[in-house]
Amino acid sequence: MVTVLIVDDAAFMRLSIKMMLEANGFEIVGEAANGVEAIKKYKECKPDIVTMDITMPEMTGIEALKAIRQQDPKAKVVMVSAMGQESLVKESIISGAKTFIVKPFKEDHVIQTITQIAAM
Amino acid sequence: MPGKYSNEPMLEMYIFETSQLLEQLEHAIIICEKVNNYSIDAINEIFRFMHTIKGSSAMMLFNEIGSLAHAIEDLFYYLREQKPESVDCSTLSDLVLEGVDFIKIELEKIKAADTPDGDPQKLNDKIKAFLSLLKSGNPSEVELVRPVSNKQQQYYISPDKKADEIRQNRFRATIKFNDGCEMENIRAYTVIHSLIDTANEVFYIPEDISENEDSVLWIRENGFEIYFATEENYEEMNRFFMQTVFLKSLDLVQLENDDEFQQFNKPKKSVIENNNEIKMPQIERAINKEQTIKEMAGASNQVIISVNVDKLDKLMDLVGEMVIAEAMVTQNPEVKNLELENFHKAARQLHKITGELQDMVMSIRMVPLSTTFLKMQRIMRDMCKKLNKEVRLEVVGEETEVDKNIIENISDPLMHLIRNAIDHGIEENDERVNKGKERVGKVTLEAKNSGSDVLVIIKDDGKGLKKERILNKARENGLLEKNENEMSDREIYNLILLPGFSTKESVTEFSGRGVGMDVVTKNIEAVGGSVTVDSVEEVGTTITLKIPLTLAIIDGMNIRVGNSRYTIPIITIKESFRPKKSEVITDPDENEMIMVRGQCYPILRLHKHYKVATKITELTDGILIMVEQDDKTCCIFADELIGQQQVVVKALPAYIKKTKSIDGLGGCTLLGDGSISLILDIGGLTNRLT
Amino acid sequence: MKENAVHDLFEEEEDTQKGKFLTFALGNESYGIEILYVTEIVGIQPITEVPELPEYIKGIINLRGKIIPVMDVRLRFKKSPFDYNDRTCIIVVDIQEISIGMIVDTVAEVLSIPEQEIVPPPDINKSGKKYIKGIGKTGSDVTLILDCEKLLDEEEVEALIKFDN
Repeated sequence: MVTVLIVDDAAFMRLSIKMMLEANGFEIVGEAANGVEAIKKYKECKPDIVTMDITMPEMTGIEALKAIRQQDPKAKVVMVSAMGQESLVKESIISGAKTFIVKPFKEDHVIQTITQIAAM
Repeated sequence: MPGKYSNEPMLEMYIFETSQLLEQLEHAIIICEKVNNYSIDAINEIFRFMHTIKGSSAMMLFNEIGSLAHAIEDLFYYLREQKPESVDCSTLSDLVLEGVDFIKIELEKIKAADTPDGDPQKLNDKIKAFLSLLKSGNPSEVELVRPVSNKQQQYYISPDKKADEIRQNRFRATIKFNDGCEMENIRAYTVIHSLIDTANEVFYIPEDISENEDSVLWIRENGFEIYFATEENYEEMNRFFMQTVFLKSLDLVQLENDDEFQQFNKPKKSVIENNNEIKMPQIERAINKEQTIKEMAGASNQVIISVNVDKLDKLMDLVGEMVIAEAMVTQNPEVKNLELENFHKAARQLHKITGELQDMVMSIRMVPLSTTFLKMQRIMRDMCKKLNKEVRLEVVGEETEVDKNIIENISDPLMHLIRNAIDHGIEENDERVNKGKERVGKVTLEAKNSGSDVLVIIKDDGKGLKKERILNKARENGLLEKNENEMSDREIYNLILLPGFSTKESVTEFSGRGVGMDVVTKNIEAVGGSVTVDSVEEVGTTITLKIPLTLAIIDGMNIRVGNSRYTIPIITIKESFRPKKSEVITDPDENEMIMVRGQCYPILRLHKHYKVATKITELTDGILIMVEQDDKTCCIFADELIGQQQVVVKALPAYIKKTKSIDGLGGCTLLGDGSISLILDIGGLTNRLT
Repeated sequence: MKENAVHDLFEEEEDTQKGKFLTFALGNESYGIEILYVTEIVGIQPITEVPELPEYIKGIINLRGKIIPVMDVRLRFKKSPFDYNDRTCIIVVDIQEISIGMIVDTVAEVLSIPEQEIVPPPDINKSGKKYIKGIGKTGSDVTLILDCEKLLDEEEVEALIKFDN
């Protein structure tokens, strides 16, 4: 089973992604509400994929992405972005994010993205 | 949102989280307004709150809320990036608070399963107008429309591979993305970003894929066209492109010659791939030192989880049942008289643990009053603005904790009292100066523990209550039951708590909506509390709410009448005694009274009151329990006392409450032997007597 | 998917419960209530009297920590009271999220009565009859089918309280 770590400061978003993924056979091995926690959780649960929100308190998703990629250059991180954050998404891609999903997202988009990244 | 699962938990979470964010937001704004300055931290925070609300609302298809959150987010984006020097804090606060209110109203609709149909357009326009005003008032050197990066990145040439152009395969790939996948330009960028690892020369159309909105439309319509040279073969490249997320179609063609490449080769403005060059300025700003310090606090925040109150209630019930079950086991008549040393040792241990567990569950339900007090600050602010009065609110002891269920019941009364204090209590600023008072009025909101109660005190330094006017009004409305001359000041002031009393003739928007102080009293009494009023003319009015810490567990005295058992809250009991015949007085209306230390108290025979069959009908055969609540005292007559016990208060079944509200019954509880005892509501009983 | 499965299950359950009635006796008459309302059947329990209630609400019982009211169905139908004995049962029903125990002389059996065997009650304005939703026939026996929701109907109850007072 593909394991996923969900990083988002909004509990609502975490729940949304979790429900979508779980309904489609993914296993959620952890959740984090900010970048600092994300890095810690990544070490702990070694997920196959991380979904990473960009705008978060304490440490942004991009900083966390960089830190995780430094720890594990093979880390597969999918950014979760809002419309209008093009430049931040671009920076994420440069920093090693595999791809991104755009809020508000639809279930099939999320599943398609995660499935494809998992298969890489 | 369609899906393979129920939307319910998400909706619940949406409502919960959004309400929480709004609360924090309100708090942040009120603090900023106080110091008349929006700090960088506050701006960041508000931006993030709005960003989250925008995202969640869009997911739930609450587009109106989303659009408003977006407008406010844009405003704070500008404030964050541009740091304009002159900002009209007052208008800014008004706008954001108006937004908060709008979302709150919509949330209420959502909670009630109605459609959130409010139209934020006007407010959005106002926010946009404010933003453009800000922009014109604070012209910046760089016009900021989200960071603009280098526009010349239409191709990459890997520096080390450039020379080696022989043995290169040339390709043209046309990619189309799935409909609705969004940010096609950045998706194209993602492809290029990984392509440059394998390809040596890369050109693409449209050229500007990083910032240009038009490129999104272009890609949607025509696809994204890439020309590149690589050492890899067709299969390898095909596999590479097939990995693209949201790939709708791929057209990969191997080119025979480099003719098609020539079109790109004229103006050699090569940009050498360099990660560092494309770094966004705001990212660096975001990671300042303050953030790292806050990390510690933030991380510890995550230790807190939110739990549905229903679950807590259930847990409370279960623990209550366990306490009873524990008593049933350890005090079981079958083991009680046996010499079982180890059993009793283990039983004591069990007793200790269940006790601790009970305390712990109780403490989980306790929440500080700070959120409620915060709400009052907001009300205060709005009132002062509207009435054009300057009033200072002093908050003391907001960390005081009370049971969650109680909090919900005191918010409305408090709101009413604060409004009263500002509207009716505090004078106009000029009037105050004339009176020799401080120009700015003061309202103090204080909470403190007092035994098993919490006192919430609302105190103003306004004009105070006028005894004469209260008496007149009470007389007019037929509310006087006593001779006026015999009434203490306190009794007179407390007249305003009676239903049908309202001293203020002019109805104002805030406090005269036909609800009087009696509503306050009713609400507070509903949670087992009481209200008292004190006032000194021209000095101010103090209203004290006495509220029990919790409703869930009380110390009770169990008594028996016939086969029935009742529980009296210990705090109401003054003493119990077996009366002497000589002390009992019966008046001509057959009302019995008892003389205790020269004072006369009415006797309430429970067996008569509740029509319970019992053999003990002679006062001298049973016991009298003197109880007092709200300054009213009476003596309850019962067969005997059974014993003192902490009991878990349970509500009477809904069906019974629906059928009839029974005077003097506050609920029921389970006793150690599994039988049910009815909890007496002493306030209700004594009220009935007078 | 999960949701649907649960839903299907529920539907199915509802289907199998349809047309099934728990029958009980009050004197010589046989009454039935739809089985889907019934949560459990217990023997007679110690009842705690609650004052000031209509006579037919006997009080409250402790059902494994849950406190529920109990109604004497005989008294509800203005029949003569009957001393409780070891055949007396309390049928616990859940109606519109209200749990209540119904005290009956004795519980008989679970009967399947097809819809076509149920006829509407004759329009007699005698007390008690308004709680009857229909009359079911099984062979030569007749079962009076109770309208549970009417039994708890607030207005009826209120009217009765006024009457009692």
